[in-house]
Amino acid sequence: MKPYVFFGLCFVLGLAACEEIPPLVIPAGEDGNTVETPVSEQKRQVLLEEFSGVRCVNCPAGSDAIQVLLGIYGPQLVPVNIHAGFFAEPYPESRYDFQIQAGYGILEYLGQPLGFPTAVINRKQFPGEDNLQLTQRAWAGSIADELLEPPKVKIDIIREFSQEDRALQLEVDLYVEEKLSFEDVRLSVFITESNIADFQLTPEGKVGNYQQKHVLREVITDFKGEPLTSPLAIGQKLRKSYRMSIPELWKSENCSIVAFVHLNGENKEVLQAHRVDLE
Amino acid sequence: MYKFTLISVVWKILFSLFFCVFSISSSAQSNDGGQLNGSFQASANFFIRDSLIGAANTPQYDRQKYGAEAWLNLNYNNWGFDFGLRYDLFNNSNLLNPTDSYTAQGIGAWFIRKQIDRLGLQVGYIYDQIGSGIIFRAFEERPLLIDNALVGARLTYDISENWQVKAFTGRQKQQFDTYDPILKGGSIEGFLLLGDSTSRWSLAPGLGITNRTLDDASMNSLVATLNTYSERDTFTPKYNTYAFSLYNTLSAGPLSWYIEAAYKTEDNLNDPFGRFQRDSSVVIGDKYFLAPGSVLYSSLSYAASGFGVSLEAKRTENFSFRIRPQAQLNRGLVGFLPPMTRVNTYRLTARYNAATQELGEWAWQLDARYTTKNRKWSFYLNRSYIDDLQGEKLYREWYSEVVYKHKRLWTFTAGLQRQIYNQERYEVKPGVPLLQTTTPYVDFLYKFTRRKSLRLEFQTMLVGNDAAVDSRQDYGNWFFGLMELSLAPRWVFAVSDMYNFSPGRNSPELDGEKKGLHYPRLDVYYTQKANRFSLSYIKQVEGVVCTGGICRLEPAFSGLRFTLTTIF
Repeated sequence: MKPYVFFGLCFVLGLAACEEIPPLVIPAGEDGNTVETPVSEQKRQVLLEEFSGVRCVNCPAGSDAIQVLLGIYGPQLVPVNIHAGFFAEPYPESRYDFQIQAGYGILEYLGQPLGFPTAVINRKQFPGEDNLQLTQRAWAGSIADELLEPPKVKIDIIREFSQEDRALQLEVDLYVEEKLSFEDVRLSVFITESNIADFQLTPEGKVGNYQQKHVLREVITDFKGEPLTSPLAIGQKLRKSYRMSIPELWKSENCSIVAFVHLNGENKEVLQAHRVDLE
Repeated sequence: MYKFTLISVVWKILFSLFFCVFSISSSAQSNDGGQLNGSFQASANFFIRDSLIGAANTPQYDRQKYGAEAWLNLNYNNWGFDFGLRYDLFNNSNLLNPTDSYTAQGIGAWFIRKQIDRLGLQVGYIYDQIGSGIIFRAFEERPLLIDNALVGARLTYDISENWQVKAFTGRQKQQFDTYDPILKGGSIEGFLLLGDSTSRWSLAPGLGITNRTLDDASMNSLVATLNTYSERDTFTPKYNTYAFSLYNTLSAGPLSWYIEAAYKTEDNLNDPFGRFQRDSSVVIGDKYFLAPGSVLYSSLSYAASGFGVSLEAKRTENFSFRIRPQAQLNRGLVGFLPPMTRVNTYRLTARYNAATQELGEWAWQLDARYTTKNRKWSFYLNRSYIDDLQGEKLYREWYSEVVYKHKRLWTFTAGLQRQIYNQERYEVKPGVPLLQTTTPYVDFLYKFTRRKSLRLEFQTMLVGNDAAVDSRQDYGNWFFGLMELSLAPRWVFAVSDMYNFSPGRNSPELDGEKKGLHYPRLDVYYTQKANRFSLSYIKQVEGVVCTGGICRLEPAFSGLRFTLTTIF
């Protein structure tokens, strides 16, 4: 057989193998489950820390994608929008400065992104990625991946808020579901606020009444979390208490409390996250 | 755990192999003429924080203060084998991500190559391309830390003296790991002399194919994203994408004509300016879509004594070919789309670059050079033109240069560049008008002796007005001056300054006022045989840095840089 014929045959046979069975795609419905479930029925809940800025032209698209994901996953997705990085400096005409020092601490702790919009999901490095920061294209897949696992810890947040003196009393209860044989396990507690109208750069230009959502307002614990030094055996219940005053500037009806258990060190993975409304 | 074990095994094998090679190389060199050669390249940056120019808020400026990269290349050939090994080192490096710190080190590449009669085989890290690289190019660009080596195997077979087939399979390198999708492909290339052996007409045709098969994790991630889309926007994604390319070079004496047509079957693409309908509003952002792609590229060149002209044109439609659809910017590139703009070298003429548009671009470029018979005068002209497929203006460049050489004593160069640059598209800055620049420059080289010379360079960039903010566009007007003293063959000293003499809307502000800042630079180069050292003090404004049409936004730099290159 002439070499030309042989290589020609190889080419034709190669083309004949082009048929493939496609994956199943189920387009999103209108809304997902957003009803809060009791702690005993709590499933795996995933933390999404989006890094953003009022001068970040592409970030509104990222925030919109998070709202769509919330519609699908409901309480199983816990979003936090952290204004830190190159685009976070407010405009002279901005009403608020969403930057807080702890936000920059978290950004530095988790690593800088290559571009925006960007988010860290469960503080985990996924295959094919350079670091913890994920571009918007990879968010949905990473969340779906993380939701496959059962929760190792369940979290309950009991809050008492007084409108009069704006004092917030928090009890965060942790229920250990699996043996946690990690060296350094921590708890972080955040306050976020939604529906804040302010200036934001968008592809159509600067918009004055853009609704910022899930903005990180306060980190109650240290930004690297509070170490859980008690033994974390299966069936163990652990309670942590916090107290703070909610500033007048924040609308308490739009605020949420976010608590999550995570590791510290080379591996920073989040074991479970939980969010409740402040009121 | 498995990966760790595998890496350990590979390390052991490699070190054993090289130990064997080196331990017997002394006797092998005398018997078989084995040869070891290599090169080393290193750079170290010392970061000095300057928040006014934006050189701040990265780990290097805030606390690390130092970053370095190094590459050691070794090649050894003997007994008909070629061996290659490259050691890569990154310590707090800002090359991978200019705003982050990257630390890793290890074997960056290795290969073993053997020719057995007509059959050539290579395993390891392979750098190669098909045609001009549109459907497959595995390459390395260190300034942007692109290293797209194919980690796998390649076979070549010489069907005849002038015809060769090639086949390859593997995975794409990702720093010290690999991406999971599989790449495979092949090509057939030949050479035909038209007429007898004295003929000046020849053809060099070729046909290539590349296939990328997505891994399950990448597909699951893609499907999860598509599940968030409405029924109108979603689609059934593809595991396999095939890219075909047909190309040919026709040579006829001083005339050369290259043409390449590439087609890619339906692929899962991403449009960064995709539109999502949300009730009554539209959200613009990353959006996947499914589409086939195509590229038509041609270049025609004529070169005769003292005169050369070339005309290039390219039409691109949906030809983003990535190892996985989640990859973006300069990550996971499978193919390479030839840029349609000249590579500018002067500091200000190189400030604005047109990055290749993978999803849609219509571009052409004309390049002409003429040198008089006495070689005293040279004239150069370039014209670049880029639009998107909807006819939106992306980039225009007019470039002219005249060079006069007076004996061997001095050379005078003068030129003018004009640009129109769609900053809204290239740098995603909404609402800014098309950036217009006019940049005249002069360059004067005077040779005091055969070894001692002085070079002076002056450039100024004048930009248009941004009526919306009643200010100059972008950073406004610039002046650049350079003085360079060469004491051949060892020393070169250079001092330069880039001054923002008329600040624009994006220039830094101090106390509410736009500031015109200086960006000085001092360089010392020392060459000792094959070793070249440099030490520089640099203040550099932020900008878009491109290598071969692939660009990324680089933040400002402030600090000291040391570099070393050597070959042995």
